[in-house]
Amino acid sequence: MTTKQVMLSEAEQARIRSELADAYDFDPRDPLFGLNRQALSGSRLERRTVLRLLAASGLLTAGHLIGVPRPAVAQGKAGGTLKCGWAAVGEIATLDPAQINQVLQFQIASNVLSGLTHINAELVAEGDLAESWEVSDDGTEYTFKLREGVVFHNGDPFTADDVLFTYQRSSDPAKSIHSAVLANVASVEKVEDHTVHFKLKAPQASFLPKVLERASGRAMTIVSRGALEKMGESEYGLKPVGTGPFKVTEHQLGQTVVLERNPDYYDKDRPKLDKVIIQPIIDAEPLAAAIEAGDIQLIGGNPIAPELVDRFVANPDLVVDETPGPTFQAVWINPWHEHMKVTDFNKPVEELMKEKGFMVRLAIAKALDREAYIKQGQFGRGMPAFGTVNPAMGRYFDPDLAKASTQTFDLAKAKQLMADAGYPDGQGFPKLRLLTTPSNRRETQVVGNQLKQHLNINVEIETKDFPVLIEDFDTMNWDLVRLGSGGDYDPDDALVDWMQTNSKFNGRRRDKAKYAFGFFSDKEVDQLISDQSATADIDKRRQMVTKANKITSDKVASAFLFHQPDILVHHKTVAFPKESRIPGLVDLDRVTLA
Amino acid sequence: MTRYLIRRAIGAVIVMWAVATLVFFMLRIVPGDPIGAMLFDAGDAAAVEALRHKLGLDAPIYVQYVKWFWLVFQGDLGNSIYGSNMPVSKAIIEALPRTLSLAGLGFIIALVIAVPAGLIAATRRNTMLDNVVSFWAFLGLSMPEFWFGILLIIVFAAGLKWLPAIGYVPLSDGFWPWVSHLILPAIAVGTTFSAIIARNIRSGMLEVLKTDYIRVARAKGLTTSAVILRHAFPNALIPVITVAGIAFALLMANAVVVENVFSIKGLGRLLINSILNRDYPTVQGAVLVVSAIFVLSNLVVDVLYTMIDPRIRYDK
Amino acid sequence: MTEQALIDTFEAPPRRQRGWAKLRGVLLSDRKALFGLVILSLFTIAAIFGPWIAPYDPNAMSFDMMLSPSWSHPLGTDDLGRDLLSRIIVGTQVSMFVGVATVAIALVVGVTLGVLAGYFGGWLDHIIMRYIDLQWAFPNIIIAVYLVAVFGTGLLNLIIAISLAFFDDFARIARGMVLSIKEEQYIAAARTVGVSHLRIMWRHILPNAMAPIIVQATVSVSYAILAEASLSFLGLGVEATTPTWGLILAEARSFITRAWGLGIFPGIAIMLTVLSINFIGDALRDFLDVRETKESA
Repeated sequence: MTTKQVMLSEAEQARIRSELADAYDFDPRDPLFGLNRQALSGSRLERRTVLRLLAASGLLTAGHLIGVPRPAVAQGKAGGTLKCGWAAVGEIATLDPAQINQVLQFQIASNVLSGLTHINAELVAEGDLAESWEVSDDGTEYTFKLREGVVFHNGDPFTADDVLFTYQRSSDPAKSIHSAVLANVASVEKVEDHTVHFKLKAPQASFLPKVLERASGRAMTIVSRGALEKMGESEYGLKPVGTGPFKVTEHQLGQTVVLERNPDYYDKDRPKLDKVIIQPIIDAEPLAAAIEAGDIQLIGGNPIAPELVDRFVANPDLVVDETPGPTFQAVWINPWHEHMKVTDFNKPVEELMKEKGFMVRLAIAKALDREAYIKQGQFGRGMPAFGTVNPAMGRYFDPDLAKASTQTFDLAKAKQLMADAGYPDGQGFPKLRLLTTPSNRRETQVVGNQLKQHLNINVEIETKDFPVLIEDFDTMNWDLVRLGSGGDYDPDDALVDWMQTNSKFNGRRRDKAKYAFGFFSDKEVDQLISDQSATADIDKRRQMVTKANKITSDKVASAFLFHQPDILVHHKTVAFPKESRIPGLVDLDRVTLA
Repeated sequence: MTRYLIRRAIGAVIVMWAVATLVFFMLRIVPGDPIGAMLFDAGDAAAVEALRHKLGLDAPIYVQYVKWFWLVFQGDLGNSIYGSNMPVSKAIIEALPRTLSLAGLGFIIALVIAVPAGLIAATRRNTMLDNVVSFWAFLGLSMPEFWFGILLIIVFAAGLKWLPAIGYVPLSDGFWPWVSHLILPAIAVGTTFSAIIARNIRSGMLEVLKTDYIRVARAKGLTTSAVILRHAFPNALIPVITVAGIAFALLMANAVVVENVFSIKGLGRLLINSILNRDYPTVQGAVLVVSAIFVLSNLVVDVLYTMIDPRIRYDK
Repeated sequence: MTEQALIDTFEAPPRRQRGWAKLRGVLLSDRKALFGLVILSLFTIAAIFGPWIAPYDPNAMSFDMMLSPSWSHPLGTDDLGRDLLSRIIVGTQVSMFVGVATVAIALVVGVTLGVLAGYFGGWLDHIIMRYIDLQWAFPNIIIAVYLVAVFGTGLLNLIIAISLAFFDDFARIARGMVLSIKEEQYIAAARTVGVSHLRIMWRHILPNAMAPIIVQATVSVSYAILAEASLSFLGLGVEATTPTWGLILAEARSFITRAWGLGIFPGIAIMLTVLSINFIGDALRDFLDVRETKESA
């Protein structure tokens, strides 16, 4: 078996480079980001404009720009029922945009609810419920002309009042977990029945492509006031009423979500399908049996268990669509553990190398044979990782890190480090608890096995369900943890969320009197990450990202393991158009059955 | 009899109260934080506290306890603290028909297999047939249900494509869709159970065949089949009813595992999911309902018992 | 089941004292029991000498993943390239240990409670039996899942959880037996001559109550092994570095189509053991003349 990883052609890379360069080519002081009012107004934003806006808000990544060649699919006719399985999940806990906190949930919600804008796979931001819009010269005022004649699934007409209602609901922290997204909005006013006016506190590039976007933004995904009042919050969470291409006609929690074609959808050409049935399927074998037997025709939800992918590839009835992984996965090492202690990372690596705790950390990181791990644990699907920045981030990804990092696999060095730290061949080193989740349990054994075989470190794997694992992780109650991140398309996702002293996952609920920081804290890294976030110049930003990433790698913020690919599987009979293949989403409005 | 029934009914209520109380307090010593998990993405201490307050999880434990019982008396099992916070009673009402369908069909499959098997084994004692039946019964007892279930999926769903691999379709969508989704899981659930019934019928029959009145019946010159079907079998059914009484308990036990294999969100899976998610209200509600069903079915069996077997009297 | 029905079930079984020689005779003449005995002996040997018999380290991984059976790997390798035979042999030890330890704990706890309840009666009986009733209202597997969720996973927790889920059967049986034996004249006689309660329970009642308890214990071992497998399937079993049959089987579940041996061999080990134990249990039942009571799953 060889390592499979989607590689981009030279031409493709060149295109991505030039598009990125163009996108980032503007004066950051310009409230309109180097665009003119015309480009920003209208009924749809051109690709170039969207790229520029994403770049200016620090959101644009090469991941957005990758168009992977796909096998030809049959073009189908309208009609029919598509049955989908949602992988590795027991139930679709909520579809209320105010409560959604998982990708697998907004994959479904994006088919039911509309935003003011929506970006397709070609990065054309189309007006969704907004027909057109105009922006003021200083970039702080937006006037939206809303589509007329749009009705909610329950028959209520869609008007400016619904935009106001959604804004009020989403900006209330008691009602929505996304209220922070709207922090920059000063006010929203109704001008006419189908005209609304947004006033921002400051120009915000991410306003159009992110805040108003229906799927990933979620804050301004339009909800129905009438339905909410009639159904109550919890019922609405199961069967949200919106203006999207499909309506939820049935939701039996943990069993099925049934979507039916919305005949009153504003675009008469969409959706094509009559009905979509979504079943959460938690176990791998039943999921595989279901798609092989034809019970389901498409798999969405969480990543598919790696052992199934080869089986699907070999199946002539199935299409397996693989793109570079917007993820990093790692083995976290507790710096407060007596035998792996590092209480201050604010010194050069050479200084750290003199500390026994750091030697052990580095030994663990250097003893991970990532290629072997991917081969055994992931059936060859993935790419070795040495930092949080992943290959889907295109130009920000640093391929040289694999060789330059102190973490590069070197067994002799790792053994020497253990010996220098006072544990020759693991003697005198205590048994470590390695926490993992049920879905990572199999591959975590490979990690444990390598530490045992390579360094003679005894590892006891403890499988904990996600809620329990997170509590332990947040309170620093662990020795080692096997955990990572998914859906990271921007360096911010990888760095701001994980690598700063006050990152949301960095020992958030630790005993602060006992532990000065969580798993890692480095002043230079903190500064670099804050700076890169606010830097518009792509080359400068890339330098900062690369530097921060390298430091976290060299100082072993964690032992980085691998980057997981993003895989969509469906039957040949399902025509999934390229423009609907939005990373992380499963938009079914253009999908047809042959 | 009436006094006995009243006494049992009061006892049943007390048992249910005790179960609920025990579960209520034990759940709260379980490690794991549902709110932390809910807000993993949002990650903000103030939001966590706000949500905790909203769900009443910041109140002292005895306050939560009294509150919960007060609501239960009003028929309100509370709302799930997971996902869309759907009412627990709704989750249970949705899950109940699935588990009952599965258990019911499992029970029928078990009986269809077990009754003839048990009769044959008893009347053809120590023949090849008896050995085959008892070997098969043992086999049923010794197979882990999840494994059997997966084998069924591999063979009949993925391989032969005769039946759907997973899921549940309500009866209102038509008889065939409903039953076709249930056949494989019902076989997985019923097989172990059929082994138990077959063994009970066999040993019950052997007892009865030894008794005097059967000898009398034979002496009267009745044919063997008449003796067995008219005289022996009804008596041998008594132990079967005993088993039927705990059938729900046994089938539930199997269903917990089988529902997970076949992605059927029944009571068993609801219970397991909510235990794993630390969804306190759902665990409490589900436990209460499950215990009510058990207590009730035990009561019914005891009453049936007195009606079938005149030797048992309760009002002493 | 009601108390009365239970008492009916246990009403004074003739307690004949028979020697070991007789037991051996019964076991050896019963072909099924003999089969069970042979198989169990083999597994016991594997359990005791497992680490020395196993051809490979059960946790050593290699890139030879999911090999078919061959001379170097008689049962093939698993999804992580570990030798399946070695894992099953070493797993025997843990699985048997889980089975026996679980039943031992359940037996001690259950019989103690049952005897105390039956002997003293009154409020003690009331409290104990109400609790047992309570627990009896639930399938063992649900109780075990619940307890594992409370205690956490791991071998020790698993054993405690399963045994706590199982002890009610023992308590019920023991109590039923005590109730009928208590009325016998020799107990009354012992009491009049001033023998202590403890001594009466230990020396006079318990030995006479053992027959159905032994049968229940035998059968329970097999249920415990199955319960461990189910818990492993639900992700609540022991950790992967401690191979048990249940865990090997549960972890093989998504590889059965690619390597059938992964699903078949540990399954056969479990089935043979459960089968053997049940055969022996049946022979014991005949020998000790115990009527069947509740079969729990």
